[in-house]
Order: sequence, then structure tokens, then C-alpha cells
Amino acid sequence: MNDLMIEARDVGKAFGAHKALEGVSVSVPKGTVLGLLGHNGAGKTTLVNVLTTMLPPDAGTARVAGFDVVRQAHQVRSRIGLTGQFASVDEGLSGLDNLVLIARLLGASTKEAKSRAGELLELFDLTEAAKRPSRTYSGGMRRRLDLAAGLVGHPEVVFLDEPTTGLDPASRLGLWEIVERLVDDGTTVLLTTQYLDEADRLADRITVLAQGKVVAAGTSAELKAQVGRRTVTVTLADVSDVPKAQDALERAGMQPVPALNTLTAPVTSSRELAVVVRALDEVGLEATELALAEPTLDDVYLTLAAHAA
Amino acid sequence: MTALTATRWRGTDFGTQVLVLTHRSLRTLVSDPRMIVFSVLQPLIMLTLFSQIFAGIANTPGFPAGVSYIDYLMPAILVNTAMQSALQAGVGLVTDMKNGVLARFRSLPIRLGSVLVARSLSDLVRTAAQLVLMLLFAVTIFGFSPAGGVAGVTVALGLSLAVGWGLGWIFLAVATWVRNAELMQTVGFLAMFPLMFASSAYVPVSGLPGWLQAVANVNPLTHAVDAARGLALAQPVSGVAGALVTSAGLAVVGWIFAVRGFRKPL
Repeated sequence: MNDLMIEARDVGKAFGAHKALEGVSVSVPKGTVLGLLGHNGAGKTTLVNVLTTMLPPDAGTARVAGFDVVRQAHQVRSRIGLTGQFASVDEGLSGLDNLVLIARLLGASTKEAKSRAGELLELFDLTEAAKRPSRTYSGGMRRRLDLAAGLVGHPEVVFLDEPTTGLDPASRLGLWEIVERLVDDGTTVLLTTQYLDEADRLADRITVLAQGKVVAAGTSAELKAQVGRRTVTVTLADVSDVPKAQDALERAGMQPVPALNTLTAPVTSSRELAVVVRALDEVGLEATELALAEPTLDDVYLTLAAHAA
Repeated sequence: MTALTATRWRGTDFGTQVLVLTHRSLRTLVSDPRMIVFSVLQPLIMLTLFSQIFAGIANTPGFPAGVSYIDYLMPAILVNTAMQSALQAGVGLVTDMKNGVLARFRSLPIRLGSVLVARSLSDLVRTAAQLVLMLLFAVTIFGFSPAGGVAGVTVALGLSLAVGWGLGWIFLAVATWVRNAELMQTVGFLAMFPLMFASSAYVPVSGLPGWLQAVANVNPLTHAVDAARGLALAQPVSGVAGALVTSAGLAVVGWIFAVRGFRKPL
């Protein structure tokens, strides 16, 4: 199993009486992206801190790039990059000086450090601001600098802790593209996020955390299949017709849920659309809109998180 | 995308880490020199006030004969400034912990002790700059010209730096455990303010009330100030070795606790 770049087994971590992580296991093969999904306080950042050697686990073991995060922390640190909610940059230094500093600390010569910093500044579209103190950067620029800082050492495993929180849509998209390029290059990525579209787009596999426990794991499609059901939504022209339509659908053996001028009911196959049309026709009603919806990760997330609570 | 994957660096030795990190702290200092200017403001005000208010003390019995008050006062101001500066070392470390750059350092393959040593070294440089600046003011504006001459004053400055550096390690240790700049400022001030007055810093110990004399005589600051003053005034000095040993002791104790405290997660 040498191609597993992140391997956590039954990791537990408590802060006093609060169990931040309990029996958490994840494994991430080389060159893939694991999305770690959960609310604030679900344990995402604690898990990232354990895997990046910042926090020793109370229970279980974890290996990153083949090294134990407790006994071989130094080897782990020389192979990872971290962009976190908290790991940040020196506000007193310019973007360029921040990146040079990190490269020098990693063992690059001054010349190598400058050339690497230049590459990254260009990649992250920060060349113009390179010499300005980073405290003058906008939120999006700082986030990009933070990500660049995590990539200075050509890390084999990159941890992104809510990398797009607070970014505008264009910056998010730009960041996603960079992550995709990293993965194309064989880098392994662990990404924590509260945004389902982000996990859906970037992650090969998703682990859902709630209250420190893994409540679901699988590909995006598997998770949707696990919880998700397809639904049909009927929109009526007149709100007063809703009760009548609800009766009709219930007689047809469905379980519609009303909301304003719509009715939503779970379906097992698209053939049931015909049942809906017929049932409405029998009571002299017509739908202004009829929509079949696939389950989204939102459904997965909300259902699983609610179950765990 | 070759830019993202190429030769990988795996880390560097302790010496380089200290060098690079010290350079970084000094860099922030140079980019914002207001820090140094403001940090000499307070000792400068003390120098101005005390040299005026207490000038008459020079004529009282018990005051060393033939010594002007400014010559008597200035070595104490040096020691005091170095001590205030030591507190700032701790506050600076807390600031680093808060702004996230330390979290970044912790994710790198470096020894955390290098961050502490770098902090301590850069604060030594900062303090030296402050003390030299203070001396320039004292000589040009207040007519500071002690009998010890340049040599005596230079050694007194060195001693003040040593005391400030040793104490700085204590504040670095406190910083790693307390991790709160405001609290540190308050506690540091509360601890140092009475220590400064219950000592030989501003008036000869013999001029203090009896109970304060008792405190002043065991106050380590009295010994540090006496040593610095003796050097500057070219008087027989005892206590230089004592001050240096005490500072080294403080540094060792501070180092042990700072490294331990620093390991705790942010």
C-alpha cells in the first residue's frame, strides 16, 4: 500500500472533555484529492492539524507521505505544504520576501529562493504586488500568497484548509484550476471545505465529518446514491390548487410535500412523471412546471449531518 | 506545469535557520523604524523628567561626591531601557503567534528553537540600537559625560544589553505560556515598575526609607544598576560578574521553559 500518501487510522483527539476527533480513518492514494466536508466544529481543522504534525493525536496513528506524523514529524514537514485558515504569512514582509523566507528555511540558496518566489508570484498573479508589504494585500491576494507559501517546497502532499472561504467567485475558480493542475502533476491534496460544489468539483473521494466522527465516505456519486433520492417538483399556477393536487398525488401512492405553489415528492424512476401528470389530469389540474431533480451533495450533507446530531 | 514540481528542498541546518529568521525580524524592524523611535520615547521622557526633578539630589549627603545627577542617572536609564526592551521581546513573540506566521513556521521542517533564538538575537540588536540612540541624546542634550569615558560607557552598555538579553529569555518563556500581549504588558509593567524604584536606580539606597533599603539591597536590579554605574563613572565595581552570571542563569531557565511552552499547539 505504498501509494497511500495519507493514511489515518482510528485517530482520536480530545480537548478536555470535548472529543474533537473520534476513531477517524481516512486514506488518500497518491495524486488524488480527498474532500473533507463538515460544518464548523466538525473536526476538519483538528484532523488537518494532526496530519500536518501540528497536534499530536491522543489515539490512533497517521502516516503522511509514508512517515509517521508523531515519530517522523520532521520528514513529514519536509514533504507537505499547508494553506490553512490559520497558517499564514508575515504581514510585515512583502509577498516576495515571504516566499523567499520560506524557501530559505527549506534549504534553498538565496538565488534559488528568489527564482522560486518569482515563479510562484507569477503563477498566482501577484508579480505586480510582489514588493508591497503583504498587510496591504486584499483578502483574495493574501489567500493566493498563502497558497503560494504552501507550495514553495514542491510538496508531495498539500493540505488546503478551507482555501476559498471568503474569496470572490473568480478567485475561487482560479484557485480550483491551480489545484487541478497540482493534481495533474501527481500532487496529493486534502481539502477541507464547507462548500459542496467545491468538493463535488475537486474531490475524487469525499469524507463527511460531523462532531468528530466520519459519518460517510465515498465518491460524490456514491454519497448521493446513499442518501439521495430523486425528486419530482410540481409547480402550480394557483396556490389554492395545492391541497387538491396534494390529494390527487397521495391517491396515486406518492408522498408529496407542499411548499408555496409547489409540491415535491420522492420518485424512484422517471416513469413516475407520467403518474404525476395523469393524477393531476384526473382532477382537472395542469402543472406549469414539472422538474425531476437528482440528489445534490447538499442533500447528502444535510441528511448525514442531521443524523449525526 | 514544471513550476510546481521540481527539485525538492528537505530542510536546512540550525545555524541557517537562525540566520534567516533573525534577518526576517530585523527586516520588519527596518521596514517600520517607528518601533525604535517610539520605544526610546518613554526612556527619553523619564530621562528628561528625572534629570530635572531629582537634580537637587546631587547636593545631598550620601550622594557620591563630584558626580552630576545626569551621570548618576544615565546608567540606570540604560539598564531600565534594556529591561523594557526585554518585555518587548516577549510581546513580539506573542504578536508572531497571533498573526499566523508561527503556524506557518511550525509546518516547516525547522527546529522551533531557532525561532526563539532568532527572536532573542534580533531583539538584542534592537535594544542595542535603542541604547545607542539614548546615549546620543544624553550626551548631546543632557550633557552626559561620566568619568569612565567612552570605554567605561561602552562596557556599561554591554552589561545593560546582557541583563536585558537574559531577562528577555524569561519574557520569551512567559510569552509561550501566556500568549496574550496585553496581559504581558500589564504584568511586566507591574513587576518592573516597583523594582526600578525600590533600587539604587534614581537615588542612592542610603536615601531611601529603612524598609525600602531592605528591599533595594536584595533587589537584583540594584546590583545591575550599581555595576553599570560603577563602570560608567570609573568607580570601583563589584557585581559585574554577578550580573552576568545572573543574566546567563535567567537565559538558561528562560530557554528551558520557552522551548517547552513553544511546543504546545497554537
